[in-house]
Amino acid sequence: MAAKLSLSGPSDSDTSSPSDQSVSGRSVNRSLRIAEKERRKNEAEDPFVLALKYFSDVEPGTPVNGNDQLERNLVCVEKVAYSKGLHPEAISIMLEFAMSLRMGSSPCVRVLKCLIPSSVVPQEAVVRAVVWLGIGKIPISTQVLFIKWVLTVFDMIDAKDQLRAIYGFIFSFVTEENLVCDDLGILVKMRVFRVRKLLELQSKVGRQPFLMHLLSLYKVFCPELVTLSIPSPMKNAFRNHNSPWKSALLAVQKRNGSQVSSSSLSLTAKDKTNSRKRKHCHLEVPALNSAVNKQAQTDSCSSRKVVPLVQIHSFAQLLENMHRIELPAQMGSLLGSSLTLQFLDCVQDESALLRLNSWLGYALHEEFLFCNDAGSFQNSEEALQFLEKLLSTLHFRQEGFSSIEVFLYKFLNAWDGSLLRPQILGLMSNIPVVTSSQIGQFLFEPLMQLFFTSSLFFKCGLMECLNNMLLKWLTWHSVYALEDDLDISLNSHTSINITLSGFKDSVMELVHFVGRLATVGLQLEGCHSLLLSFILDFYETVCDMFLKYGLPLVVMPPPGVFYPALFAADPVSVDRLAYIMYRYKVNLTSAKRQEKLKEQAFHISRQTFHEFNHYVVVMVNCLWNSKMFHQGMGVQLGEEVLLKSNVPQYSNSFDLIHHPAFLSYAVDFHQKCWPGRKDMDLNSIKHSKPWRWYLEYLFTQGYDGLKQFVQSNISWQPIAGDGGSDDLATQQR
Amino acid sequence: MSVLKPFSKLPGLKTATILLVEREEQFQQSLADALVEETGVTVNVRLAKSLPLPVENEESRPRIDLVVFIINLTSELSFQSAEASLKYLDAGYFLGKVCFMVTNARNTLVPTNRLDGVRKLAASLQCPLLFAEDQTPDGVSNATERLLAILKVAAGLVPMATALYLSNLTRCTVPPDIDQPSFD
Repeated sequence: MAAKLSLSGPSDSDTSSPSDQSVSGRSVNRSLRIAEKERRKNEAEDPFVLALKYFSDVEPGTPVNGNDQLERNLVCVEKVAYSKGLHPEAISIMLEFAMSLRMGSSPCVRVLKCLIPSSVVPQEAVVRAVVWLGIGKIPISTQVLFIKWVLTVFDMIDAKDQLRAIYGFIFSFVTEENLVCDDLGILVKMRVFRVRKLLELQSKVGRQPFLMHLLSLYKVFCPELVTLSIPSPMKNAFRNHNSPWKSALLAVQKRNGSQVSSSSLSLTAKDKTNSRKRKHCHLEVPALNSAVNKQAQTDSCSSRKVVPLVQIHSFAQLLENMHRIELPAQMGSLLGSSLTLQFLDCVQDESALLRLNSWLGYALHEEFLFCNDAGSFQNSEEALQFLEKLLSTLHFRQEGFSSIEVFLYKFLNAWDGSLLRPQILGLMSNIPVVTSSQIGQFLFEPLMQLFFTSSLFFKCGLMECLNNMLLKWLTWHSVYALEDDLDISLNSHTSINITLSGFKDSVMELVHFVGRLATVGLQLEGCHSLLLSFILDFYETVCDMFLKYGLPLVVMPPPGVFYPALFAADPVSVDRLAYIMYRYKVNLTSAKRQEKLKEQAFHISRQTFHEFNHYVVVMVNCLWNSKMFHQGMGVQLGEEVLLKSNVPQYSNSFDLIHHPAFLSYAVDFHQKCWPGRKDMDLNSIKHSKPWRWYLEYLFTQGYDGLKQFVQSNISWQPIAGDGGSDDLATQQR
Repeated sequence: MSVLKPFSKLPGLKTATILLVEREEQFQQSLADALVEETGVTVNVRLAKSLPLPVENEESRPRIDLVVFIINLTSELSFQSAEASLKYLDAGYFLGKVCFMVTNARNTLVPTNRLDGVRKLAASLQCPLLFAEDQTPDGVSNATERLLAILKVAAGLVPMATALYLSNLTRCTVPPDIDQPSFD
């Protein structure tokens, strides 16, 4: 238990030479020792405890070859490590044993490989081990192994303040050993001179992938220092650097998931962070913890005037300490609470957002694009939760992260269309405005392939997603649009600037793309009413772009959407189409008025007016006038063909009485209107008075869209005695 | 050594036949089990390790409406075998009656240029390239659904749609390299 004791007195053992560990161990109070004795009595026969005792007491220079005792104890420790993980004291003892090379370097590697912590790693042990590195007797491969181990368990180290003090020392390994791992950037604090040194080194040894990776990380932290262009933040040069421990750690943590939290109760004074971390449990959002440890916090608060984010519990506190908040060690933890996100939103410092972005990009790529063999479906529950959390973050911020965007573009090209579909579609609808030159390649190509080969439900889901995407874009536009120079600054943080015409082009591309999808989708699915409903949702957004969101753009639906909706068998679709046409009319008339009012106002093309008028004429002629197949209508059929079809009064077949969607209402109305009549003559509804009643009857059934359409487009005075109805499709031009 | 022809035989009534070609013969079995569950039309599933198909069964073999090459990206041989099989298909098949299905695309063991190779192959033949998650039941049923959607069109069972029309909409394109520095 010597190491345990040395743990409780950390400060002196840190500065003194490592060999006096046992001396410092003796200076401990008696009560602790008595309690320890009790416990030890119970565990006296435990071979693991005996093994630890052996490793803490073994004399330097003991031979390795043929040493059965060593072999037995080592096997015992390995067994415990791989099954339950090692507790902090055990880690200290074993690390001390290994790094001090008391029995040469051969058992050292073996010990390092089995150092799997069950809860936390004491900082003291790591610092002492780094001190041993300085002695210089350890082979380079073993040094590299040790650094990799530190990186793997970095999140589990209970405090990092003293480690920080020796970052420079750790950094020197970069130059000496060409040893860089991706997390070293997080480990090693950003310093100007370090970046210079790295750049120097890079010019010496060329563009090594690991150097580029570290530099790209530095670029994230400190973009103004690294001016070099780096291909991608996510080309993982060191994807598997921690593989010797990662899987074992994962297994241990999985096995005693609950145990970890219970054993951590005794350590609550130290830290709460030993719950679980992304590193070990992949997609867990890390718990919020500060970079300085608890003990040091009181000092740092007074001297350095820094408040760790973890200590902020209310919005008022946040406001008070806004200027001196210290970012957490792991940016991923910011996703956890709304308070931290609020902080992120108002903080001026770009680096916080960049760091979070970098972390997100890394996590998403690692877990969804570079899976291990079995990893993809074992962790599906975790992946689900992670994405849900990400989505709620996006909803909270109303703003995306560029790393998610890049990830999605890649993921869409390898997606089967069903894996985590709701979450992926949710992320996609949060993509910020894509320029019209890129949107086709990055978004539309993969989506088109998925859309036409996938099921009806995917088609509906994608329609909803694209509708949400358009809604988000339009909302951004209406919030961020700058009046004077027609410039839109979308996404305040990443400062994407899109001109108004650029934005209009993007929206136009999107609307046309959905028009294409909808046309062919309806055709392939036999005009399925569910799909039609989602498509009409989209056009409800499109028809109001000018009035609701102030975007001077009107795009009409293609005939492939208009006619299936007009001839749909369900009245709801026809009603919604009527509503959409009504909103188009309101938008177009107000746009027209503005155009006349202001000289410099935008111009809506003749083509749009022409299309709109054409549609209105078709609708009025079809639903109202019973002039379905007249000259100049959308549907043209020869007289002979129509006669051949043997449909009596074919021109009536799509008016409000005979339209398949409304026929049942007409029959119902007929029965209510003339209860005594035996023979049903639906044409009698056409007479002026019953026609008016019939319309009112329809409007009371909740068909408000139809009502608005009729009221706005048809000037209709019921003239007594006239069997037909007066109509006038108001013409825009 | 015969070349498979798309129109050499008459189609059956409400029948569609699909040929799954996979060198490893792992995924095709579970796909076949799921495909024959379809109730709307009669689905015949034929399995093959590679092309050409043996001459002996030629008489009894129904008209094949869709040929699917299943490529496991973790194995180079899988890709090579599919590539070698292509020349035993009549040119008529490439008018919408061939598609590629790729598994393990998100695996860390897959070298990136292999997926690019498959993509280029599918793009040069103007065929659709589908991705499938063969490890999960959801993934298998989704892959089945998508194959059925294509098969029904290819067999002429969907009014107003032909195989060529659909493949024109879904054919593979080589995506841009997002890692390029030009991408912002």
